[in-house]
Amino acid sequence: MSEDLLNYVVDYSRSLGVKYSEARYQLDKYFTIILRNGKLVTLGTSINDGVGIRLVYDNVLTFSATNKLGRDELVGIVRDAVGRARATTHLVKTPTRFGDDVVSRGSYEVIPTKDFNSLDISEKVKLMAELHEVIVSSVKEVKVPTTYCEYVEHVQEKLIVNSDGGFVRGRVPRLLIMLNLVLHHPQKGSIQRIMEFGASGGLELIDEWDLFRVVEEEVRNLEKSLVEGVEPPKEPVDVVLGPEVVGIIVHESAGHPMEADRILGRESAQAGESYVKPEYVGSYRIGSECVTVVEDPTIPKSYGYYEYDDECIKARPRYLYKEGIIYEPLHNRQTAYVFGTRSNGSSRAMDYASEPLIRMSNTYFKPGDMEFEELIEDIRLGVYIKSYMEWNIDDIRWNQRYVGLESYLIVNGELRGYIRNPVLELTTAGLYSKVVGVDKNLRFYPGTCGKGDPPQGVPVWFGGPNIRLSKVRLGVTV
Amino acid sequence: MSSELLDTAGTLLRKLRSSYDELAVMINGIDSVMVKIVNNNVALKYSRKSYNVGLYLVKGRKVLILESSTSDLNQLSRAADDISKYVHIIEESELYAPLPEPRQVKPLGNLVDSNVVKYMSEPAKLCEVLINSAVNEGGERVSGILSLGVRSKALVSSNGFEGFEVGSEVSTYLRVFKGDYSGHWAYGSRFLDLKSIEDVGRTAAQYASYAKGFVDIPPGRYDVILSPLVVGNLMELVVSMTSAFNVLAGFSMFISKSLGDVVATDKLTLADVPRDVELSGSTSFDDEGVETYNKELISRGSLKTLLHNSKTARKFNTVSTGNAGWITPRPWNIAVTPGDSNIDEMVREVRNGLLISNNWYTRLQNYVEGAFSTVSRDAVLVIRDGEVVGNARRVRIADNLSRLLSNIWLVGRKCYLIKWWEVEVPSKVPYILVKDLNITKPFE
Repeated sequence: MSEDLLNYVVDYSRSLGVKYSEARYQLDKYFTIILRNGKLVTLGTSINDGVGIRLVYDNVLTFSATNKLGRDELVGIVRDAVGRARATTHLVKTPTRFGDDVVSRGSYEVIPTKDFNSLDISEKVKLMAELHEVIVSSVKEVKVPTTYCEYVEHVQEKLIVNSDGGFVRGRVPRLLIMLNLVLHHPQKGSIQRIMEFGASGGLELIDEWDLFRVVEEEVRNLEKSLVEGVEPPKEPVDVVLGPEVVGIIVHESAGHPMEADRILGRESAQAGESYVKPEYVGSYRIGSECVTVVEDPTIPKSYGYYEYDDECIKARPRYLYKEGIIYEPLHNRQTAYVFGTRSNGSSRAMDYASEPLIRMSNTYFKPGDMEFEELIEDIRLGVYIKSYMEWNIDDIRWNQRYVGLESYLIVNGELRGYIRNPVLELTTAGLYSKVVGVDKNLRFYPGTCGKGDPPQGVPVWFGGPNIRLSKVRLGVTV
Repeated sequence: MSSELLDTAGTLLRKLRSSYDELAVMINGIDSVMVKIVNNNVALKYSRKSYNVGLYLVKGRKVLILESSTSDLNQLSRAADDISKYVHIIEESELYAPLPEPRQVKPLGNLVDSNVVKYMSEPAKLCEVLINSAVNEGGERVSGILSLGVRSKALVSSNGFEGFEVGSEVSTYLRVFKGDYSGHWAYGSRFLDLKSIEDVGRTAAQYASYAKGFVDIPPGRYDVILSPLVVGNLMELVVSMTSAFNVLAGFSMFISKSLGDVVATDKLTLADVPRDVELSGSTSFDDEGVETYNKELISRGSLKTLLHNSKTARKFNTVSTGNAGWITPRPWNIAVTPGDSNIDEMVREVRNGLLISNNWYTRLQNYVEGAFSTVSRDAVLVIRDGEVVGNARRVRIADNLSRLLSNIWLVGRKCYLIKWWEVEVPSKVPYILVKDLNITKPFE
């Protein structure tokens, strides 16, 4: 796709009286391997490219997409959009306005150490098949009825121009490996785990993840959880949450409620609104002073990495919660205008056919300086929840639930034995107010975050260190 | 349009035919318009015109799939050549089965509603209907989606199948706020029915207005009336578990069940209904060119069949149910057979219970055991001794899907056409009363 053609589209739309115009070419290319029980099911390739055009005409915001990339087709899309905007103006009570932000001209690219092509396809299949063998050979007392594995290479390219002078060219390769496994014991029932490894980069990630060791160790612990696990204590106890659990918590109850479009109600009929009100920003206490949650698209190798957003705004770290205070929402240019501030570069689209929305990138609980042993050393009786399967949260991001998977009893400062399915069900303030300790072991996990209609899933990281909550009543699954 | 898409698919098939043992080409076209309403205001006009090409390629029982948004035949051929290099270095597919021999497919008739096409150029008029129907019923703040479109698909295969279909679709949902309360409703069909559009706004506003004040309820077991929105969401999950591929991959509680096993009360009959043209998933042929037919998946409580394509059918030693997916069988439309109760009778039946009008975020701890939870949103009406006494607002169902199916007590006689964010497969579903569902709330 040529920059000239996108510039032509922007200039043409301006000639029709469009106030703001943005043309984005986006290519998303996937290569997927699917295996079941270590045997190949299929290989797949998906190539998805086209142009998305966003216009503000007569106060109406329009978004149009096509994968017919000729000049005539693109011009036709613009004309249609303007015509439909005209017919809708009377229903627009709140005009669309963008903040007076400084747009950038720049480019970014993630260059892998080991390119995807550096390994033969058959070797990749073999590698994934070996994961099945690792799982099956790691257990002693249980059976493995099924394993399922998806290996996904994703290359995303964006070329964006807008009528405010913005220009961005970006290229990010990503790798994702997803494993689903079921362990079954005739008397104890079953335990199920979905594990994901994901980051931006190339095949060097497989070594960095230490895939086989991590899977083997986890499967061994899951078997023990299934066979030996008991119910959690009934009385309130100190609960330590592992980085994976902390990651999903900050994604759900810090990242989502701090999306400014949610706060303003733009997603109210879809993903919902937010407990956060505009007047909370900068003053409302949501947690203890141990609680600082950061959102940062610029973390090298991260799954949610970008340097400029889809409105050509330079990306930077944002503090969502700072020392327990609601601090800075995620903004695009539209919400920044309403809040009287500047965009902090949060606008991102899943693919060419998707409207750029305010999205998280990499969200994490800021680590402290303790060792894990220090975090738990004075716990007389407690529970350590290292991983989870079931989770959900209500539509204002207040009432949330996480059900632990690999979980341990803590007795006199040491991990002693396994706990099955402990349920953490707390409000957002209830949870963050109980944080009394944070260790230094920051880890990230990949996810696909859903939002919008048509629904968009974008790659994100979420993570944190181990954190300690004081005196929590845990539930059990029924 | 039919000949254009079929010609393109045919040309591609001929171009690649000599390189593969078996081959299928699917082209999907979409022309759609969507309006996003936020706080009684049009926030976005969205439109999309695009084609997507899928290639199913087999050589030596090795299965490759290529999908592309490009309509450039040369580019597609090059992509197919690229992927064909893998054929020599990979193993046979564990699930290989030959493409089925083509048979006569009975068409579904006209699936295009000219009213949908007409309103695609003037959706604002329907938006006004939606907003006004909610406001006239007492709604203060209205948000939602109106979506109108025409989808087409062409399929050709190396064993001679050739099929084309085009159909319109309309879907809309509204969330209506009144004070501290809200209501939600949805509608989805191939055909535009103005009364149904008005009912979306009206019903959502009625739920928003129904509150008789907040009632705090303790966690515990309650008899719960699930609205068609909730039934649609949960039955979509149950039906996805009947996909034989999901059974094989460990994403199904039917992994340890056999056909004929009792999996629900005899009040529940759950079906895949591709021949129901009211619903926008209707289609006469699947992705392998097999004729579709309506089928009960759970019949009066017993597991009757899984959903199959030719691959899973071979693995399970049965025949395709006309639900391909080249790899994963999938439902086209979902229907629950109506019962004989109306909503007032259900409410009168409840001594200590709830009516949950909407839900989201359904997640499982364990697919093979069915342990799940889902969060309510919008109205949760508290019912005591057959009377609605207030609104409990946000609660959570945390139970087991098997137990939920086994505790179905009453099934409504009226079914609603539902499609929205949390019900992606078009569904025709009633209100259902479930006994003794576990309800949880945050400890603090």
